[in-house]
Amino acid sequence: MDYSIVNNAQDLPFSFIVQDIIAGNLERSAAKLAVFKKMEGIAAIDLPDIAAAVTLIFQRGKLTLETGIVSNPAIIIKTSSDIVTDLNLLKICCGLPCYFNASGRRVLRHLLAGNLRIKGLFTHPVLLNRFTEIMSVI
Amino acid sequence: MAEYKAFTQEWMDAWKEKITGSQEYKEIAKDWEGSVSITVNADPSKNVPETVYMFTDYWHGDVRDFVLCDAARAQTAKFVMSGDYARWKQVAKKELDATKALMQGKLKLKGDLTYVVRNIKTVNKVIDLLTEVNTIFPDEG
Repeated sequence: MDYSIVNNAQDLPFSFIVQDIIAGNLERSAAKLAVFKKMEGIAAIDLPDIAAAVTLIFQRGKLTLETGIVSNPAIIIKTSSDIVTDLNLLKICCGLPCYFNASGRRVLRHLLAGNLRIKGLFTHPVLLNRFTEIMSVI
Repeated sequence: MAEYKAFTQEWMDAWKEKITGSQEYKEIAKDWEGSVSITVNADPSKNVPETVYMFTDYWHGDVRDFVLCDAARAQTAKFVMSGDYARWKQVAKKELDATKALMQGKLKLKGDLTYVVRNIKTVNKVIDLLTEVNTIFPDEG
């Protein structure tokens, strides 16, 4: 496969979960791989309840994972470890997350309740949609 | 209510019975195909002198093999989950969420993680049913 993932956050077990999900998705879906190759920007996932934060630096076909929140990410997803998997179950329709099924409604509820905070939700929608797409296992 | 010594075949049979008796499991697990082995690392200080290997097999809501096994058979499973005794005990007592344990590296998983995440409800249900088994742990019995 024509992509690379470098994990510089190996001190963080959660980074392997992120790496395995993205790599698994890229291996099984040409559409997700195509999205991945277009991605340029920095996103982060922050899970304070397990003291785990990882930054993902996308450079058109190359992903580097770093420990913590570094390099001023455009997207920061802050939530808890039990909610973050709900994001992986978001269905993607025409390149956009679908909020009309059970998983989508759950994510919306978390957003409205403040249990899920996304920096860059309105300012970086393209990167966020692409990030959601390559993290979704659906 | 009957009590079962953890990591014995009787305990596994009781767990399997809980799963096969759950209508909710049958519905949730209708898409799941494949085996999961569980490795409990030895901890002589907790009366677990040797590593324990278990092989469990699930097929579209049914449960097939559910047995103690050796290391070689455990490695043949579609998914291999492993961890220290103390962690598995926490999971079985509902003190530790298995997904959180994976994220924290307290448990390890070998296999297609995207498949597991897609079917996370099935995994959680199987673990929920384990917590319903009246278990005597080796360091408590």
